[in-house]
Amino acid sequence: MNARDRILGKLRRVQAPFADVAPIVERRRMIPLGEMTPELQLERFIAESQAQGCLVYRLDANSAVEQMMEIIAGDNAVLSWDECELPLERLHDILQSLDVSIAAPDDSGVRVGVTGVTAALAATGSLVLEGGAGRYRGPSLLPDVHIALMRVEQLLPDLESWQQLQQRDAYPAFTSASSTTMVTGPSKTADIGHQLVKGAHGPREVHIVILE
Amino acid sequence: MTVALDSNNFIALADIALQNEDLQHAIGDGTRTAYYRRLDTMFAHSDEHGEYMRGMAAEAKRRALRHLPDLLEKAERNLRQNGFQVEWAEDADHANQLVLDIARRHQARTVAKSKSMLSEELGTNHALEAAGLRVVETDLGEYIIQLNDETPSHIVGPAMHKTKAEIRDIFVRELGMEPTDDAEAMVAYARKMLRDEFLSADMGISGANFLIAETGSIGLVMNEGNGRMCTSLPRVHIALVGIEKVVDTVEDYAMLTQVLPSSSTGQKMTVYTNIINGPRRTDETDGPEHVYVILVDNGRSDIYATEYAEALACIRCGACQNACPVYRSTGGHAYGWVYGGPIGAVLTPLMVGLENAAPLPHASSLCGSCKQVCPVDIDLPRMLLDLRWELVQRGESKAGWDLAMKMWAIGMTSPARFALGGRAARAGQYLMGDYLPGVLGNWTKHRDFPDFAPKSFRQLWRERRRERA
Repeated sequence: MNARDRILGKLRRVQAPFADVAPIVERRRMIPLGEMTPELQLERFIAESQAQGCLVYRLDANSAVEQMMEIIAGDNAVLSWDECELPLERLHDILQSLDVSIAAPDDSGVRVGVTGVTAALAATGSLVLEGGAGRYRGPSLLPDVHIALMRVEQLLPDLESWQQLQQRDAYPAFTSASSTTMVTGPSKTADIGHQLVKGAHGPREVHIVILE
Repeated sequence: MTVALDSNNFIALADIALQNEDLQHAIGDGTRTAYYRRLDTMFAHSDEHGEYMRGMAAEAKRRALRHLPDLLEKAERNLRQNGFQVEWAEDADHANQLVLDIARRHQARTVAKSKSMLSEELGTNHALEAAGLRVVETDLGEYIIQLNDETPSHIVGPAMHKTKAEIRDIFVRELGMEPTDDAEAMVAYARKMLRDEFLSADMGISGANFLIAETGSIGLVMNEGNGRMCTSLPRVHIALVGIEKVVDTVEDYAMLTQVLPSSSTGQKMTVYTNIINGPRRTDETDGPEHVYVILVDNGRSDIYATEYAEALACIRCGACQNACPVYRSTGGHAYGWVYGGPIGAVLTPLMVGLENAAPLPHASSLCGSCKQVCPVDIDLPRMLLDLRWELVQRGESKAGWDLAMKMWAIGMTSPARFALGGRAARAGQYLMGDYLPGVLGNWTKHRDFPDFAPKSFRQLWRERRRERA
């Protein structure tokens, strides 16, 4: 008998505990938002993500590129998701025309990373970054600065709403990509004297550009 | 097992901690901050909703434990479907051997490790180092204590007991950092040192906060991002997963992964909430090529068969540590093994043997705070009492204690002897003042002895009846 069978055998031989625990009938959201208009939901998202230390902009496509160039601040390369995964059309071409090239997605020496999002969560100010082809891990992890581009329509009320969409579609973010990450604010630590410091290992700045 | 065990030495270790001013300051600060942040977040909406969150989390974990063997099989099936390689380990030696075998199979020499309490329990670092591998802890708190050759003192903040000045001295001594008192500069320095480790590591090791049976995925929560690095950059990733980490559905996971940080650090979500579904897919160009899950028992199936099974519901948020008056005074090292605080006082005797951790069930005033704050409502005070009862059954209580209890019983079972005792106590206090003699003096050294009422209740009652008559 191997370890697996011995462990499972031991667990099966005893009376399973907690037979009398009543199931939860009403499943509530962890953060109750109540009924919300889309505009209020967007305001909530902005407030929550700012509270976590993100910088948030509501811009049209042209101003978005200008804002990005300001953040890129003269660097000659950025990390980025593939162009087709971003909500700004032909962004790579535009950046290249402004002398900013796209580095290999695992290049650790680049200061700015650009991603889209696959959803955003109003209740917690979180960005959902589902993995998959062209949606690399590096751009939201390795650089000092992360720029996330999102469309207003990608906003959901909360994590539970995203889970329900996933359930409807047979959980693609849990089975067809190697990893999915939810980002809530810049990387941080309080391990040195209980003092909050941003930029522990991941980006110390997270810029969220909401395209309208 | 290579993890030092010193739990029978609790009293002496607690004494050392009480004399350590830096530790007193750091632990007091860290635990109280987390305690109030938890209150602010869990009960932001209403007290009733906060309790509802606890109720949902408690139900999900108990439901998972009730179906534990079935869910483990379901998880294994779906993990394999997702491309994970699944191994099972019965104890620490077995688990460490499996890690070493995997390292050899992939010619791994260097390991970047993200925080895992299970790996502390297993002594994985020592086992790998003994075999000639280089292991670097990459959570900043773990990095600090690894450099100083210590064990974690808190489940969530392993270096919670260290002040900024102590950490500065460790970085200067062990890494040659230019001395600075700027926490940001110290973090930037560690970031640079550890970035090189991530990029050069052959293998990443992580724990797991949740194992989702429905999809065969691992849930990790973190704030620094080191866990993402360890599970993304090296070509091999091993996740060490305790068998009690399994939850049934993604719906349960979506709830629990919010309750955990709310209860732990008072965050609605951690900065990174990571879901890992196995190795890189054929159309992906990043992520590890091989991902292993080692499902570890190490005593959990024994606990499952006892009236302490509820302790397996623990999601390692550290709230009981932050709330415990004993832990707040001693920190985690006094408990002499991996887990400190109320959950440690229960888990340690269960995992290493009651005879090897006899003082721990007594390291509590039974005030009940731990149960009150526990996000999955583990009845820790009841378990501490049951463990004390087991100690008495084994005859491991102290002879002096037995004698005192017998005297107490003699006094309490006769009205005349009870009255005599009361008069003797009043006379004793009149003679000795506020300080008790001998060992009892340890109690009055820091506290005023409560004054006895000048007349006993029985005396007052008699006088009252006389007046009425």
